[in-house]
Amino acid sequence: MAGAVESELVSEDTSETEAVAAAAVGVAAILFALSLAALFELVTITDTVAGIPMVALLGALLILLGLGVVGFGVGSRLGYVATNPRPSAGLVAAVAFSGIWFVVGGLVASQTLGLGTIGWGGVAFVTGGLAFAVTALPREDIGSTLPAGLLAVFAGAVFVTGLIGPGWVWDLGWEQSASFNAEFTIPVITAFCSLLVSWGAAKSYGGFGARGRHVGAYLLVYLNALSIIAVLFLLVAFTVFKGLPGLFNSISFGLGVGPETTLFGFTFAWPLSWPFVMNGVALLNDVNGVLPAIAGTIWLVIGAVLFAVPLGVGAAVFITEYAEHGRFTQVVEIATNGLWSTPSIVFGLFGLAFLVPRLGNGKSLLAGMLTLGFMLLPLVVITSREAMLAVPDEYRDASAALGVTKWQTIRSIVLPAALPGIVTGIILGVGRIAGETAPILLTMAGSVAPPGSQTVDVIGGFRFISSPPFVENPELLQATSALPYQLYSLITAGVGQSSSIANIEQFRWATALILLVVVLGFYAVGIATRYYFRRKLQHE
Amino acid sequence: MTETTQSTDTDQAAESAQTSDIEMQGSGQPLEVTAGETREKTRDEWTDYEFEGDAKFAVEDLDVYYGDDHALKGVSMDIPENSVTALIGPSGCGKSTFLRCLNRMNDRIKAASVDGTVELDGEGIYQDGINLVELRKRVGMVFQSPNPFPKSIRDNISYGPRKHGDLETGFLANLLGRSDDEEVEELVERSLTQAALWDEVKDRLDDNALGLSGGQQQRLCIARALATEPDVLLMDEPASALDPIATSKIEDLVHELSEHYTVVIVTHNMQQAARISDQTAVFLTGGELVEYGDTEQVFEDPESQRVEDYISGKFG
Ligand SMILES: Nc1ncnc2c1ncn2[C@@H]1O[C@H](COP(=O)(O)OP(=O)(O)O)[C@@H](O)[C@H]1O
Ligand SMILES: [Mg+2]
Repeated sequence: MAGAVESELVSEDTSETEAVAAAAVGVAAILFALSLAALFELVTITDTVAGIPMVALLGALLILLGLGVVGFGVGSRLGYVATNPRPSAGLVAAVAFSGIWFVVGGLVASQTLGLGTIGWGGVAFVTGGLAFAVTALPREDIGSTLPAGLLAVFAGAVFVTGLIGPGWVWDLGWEQSASFNAEFTIPVITAFCSLLVSWGAAKSYGGFGARGRHVGAYLLVYLNALSIIAVLFLLVAFTVFKGLPGLFNSISFGLGVGPETTLFGFTFAWPLSWPFVMNGVALLNDVNGVLPAIAGTIWLVIGAVLFAVPLGVGAAVFITEYAEHGRFTQVVEIATNGLWSTPSIVFGLFGLAFLVPRLGNGKSLLAGMLTLGFMLLPLVVITSREAMLAVPDEYRDASAALGVTKWQTIRSIVLPAALPGIVTGIILGVGRIAGETAPILLTMAGSVAPPGSQTVDVIGGFRFISSPPFVENPELLQATSALPYQLYSLITAGVGQSSSIANIEQFRWATALILLVVVLGFYAVGIATRYYFRRKLQHE
Repeated sequence: MTETTQSTDTDQAAESAQTSDIEMQGSGQPLEVTAGETREKTRDEWTDYEFEGDAKFAVEDLDVYYGDDHALKGVSMDIPENSVTALIGPSGCGKSTFLRCLNRMNDRIKAASVDGTVELDGEGIYQDGINLVELRKRVGMVFQSPNPFPKSIRDNISYGPRKHGDLETGFLANLLGRSDDEEVEELVERSLTQAALWDEVKDRLDDNALGLSGGQQQRLCIARALATEPDVLLMDEPASALDPIATSKIEDLVHELSEHYTVVIVTHNMQQAARISDQTAVFLTGGELVEYGDTEQVFEDPESQRVEDYISGKFG
């Protein structure tokens, strides 16, 4: 290999320089997390830590990091640090940095220096071009550290000198008079700069070259994944913290404290009294609850699944295994995809105009179930079809060669192999429909906060009658409530204030938490089912 | 296949001067002759094979087309029962196609159309009113790559008989006292023993079959085919995806099975064909059956020059 630089297979002097780079990566990651926390107001930037204002501290850290990374790059260029840089940091990095510096230059020129359009445009182009040149032209060690490090130093300096301090506001002057305030701007700038610096530091840690790029990319992917998880976690945690007080209001344990239930003729009292999930809303209740809405939501989902899954899987079997591949299956595919992206309010309107008049001419649980079932149907078809197409043809051939008929093959080989995929589709679909508000509003919703006595009892509602169809279930034809609908009404319409709910704010959050728990509960059931079927198909 | 290419194959085949010309024409279509192959006219007597005993299969003038592609041309051969018949030839010459004609698996390929007659025990299998379930029960098949179902070893074996209604298992059968659990156990042991797999898996019959090694999976597939008690076993390069040890196990197995079963095996490994078969059919490019006869004769003293060239490795 002519011209290839021999590098050691085992690098021995990993010690100091790598430790410095690793420390820089670590500090940058901490800074990144800190700024995320500030963004979600877990940390207040107006605070002082050990007598130093938070903003100044962030700025100082940024300057330190920036200088460190620049120092590493320059040291590498001058040969004090052993690395394997490429001739250039590459076009992607150059374009990215020039874009960033273009924005920075433009903002400084227009907002701080107050230049006009031509002025700030010129400055922006100059800074952007400079950044491009600095990134693309020198060796990789300079190109990937200098623009990132200098940006951090610049941002840090702005914070330390108080150019952007806690009281800073950038009024955009739009009609709605939108503005960026310090609580938003400072964390975002800090997060962005620390991200760039940590990338540069990670590349330094890898010694630039192929390994450096690998480490840099790895860091970005990792930080990205972590911040997604963090946001999710924050969202759930926020709801839980807000909802817990209302949820566990006057909960008590002990023999016979709970409500009485009659099952198969036996009457027993629950050893647990949990007013929020066992009561409805009534004047005489000590603590009001959402039992009717919980029952409504659960029955709604069960009904929709019972309606949509057999139909959807059946349709998928037909178009995958029986129908000729061609125009017809294409049309069906387009139609199902289109149905899946149809807005839910359209389904609701369909339910209101078509189902409600035909089902006892009033909003009812059954109409809600069917409407949500129609919503669920396309996803079940799509995912079942994908799952069945993914079953290898070898299985079908093997079965046919044994003289087994097509239908038996589908039932005993294709469907079991496709089940985990089908269940995945149902899980996703249930996640969507369980939280739907609009269709329920139009097809099912009765009073916002019904009393506990109006809880639907679908199982107990079945009754035999002497004329066709010989069974009836008045419970299914009753209007009832569901959690998302109740939550919506409590928040937007201000319903409930006048009723007997004592602490409406607490009640809302507890309702939201219960909705979250119910949906996650369905999730858990689905995932357990999928795990069970998948285990059956696989060896350990 | 255009008219011109077809006529070059038969009429002008001996004129070697035109070879290059002919090969040029074949662009887009499968070449009639591969490089290094001599041109000669196939004679009918090369495929005449006299044997004692009954013919299991009698194939007459079999033509198979995939759309316009003429994949098998006028193949006629009788396959004797309780013996091993090897089908050899370069890839793409129609061996698998021929094999699939014997249990009508070609029906599953939409583009395929079959002309001619195939008789199993004297009954035409392409006549109207044929019972495909019964045909495939009698004619089992093993595929090139092992394809066990993602089920337990036991369920793989009992799958065929259960679906045919020969065995009843499951909840309802248990309830009605008609469960054939014991018969299932017997069947599983018998089939696995026949396929020389019983000792290796007898303690793990409830494990998923996908956890077996490739060679074990292929023997499981053989056991699965044997479980429906067929007369014939069709095998399409059953060892081509396996290592040498697994291959030799399959070869031994084929040899033992030929005492009670009629085995038709496709292979592109000529040593394997020479080792395990009683008679050999050589298909060559273009979907022709060129020579068919006693394995020893075909390998040591072939009548066709093309076959001799193929066997000695000049092309293929
Ligand atoms: N399913 C199919 N559809 C269309 N053409 C096919 C199909 N299977 C095989 N063929 C064609 O038929 C010819 C013979 O194929 P095949 O029987 O698989 O040969 P072999 O098994 O000897 O390698 C080839 O030219 C191949 O392209
Ligand atoms: Mg083949």
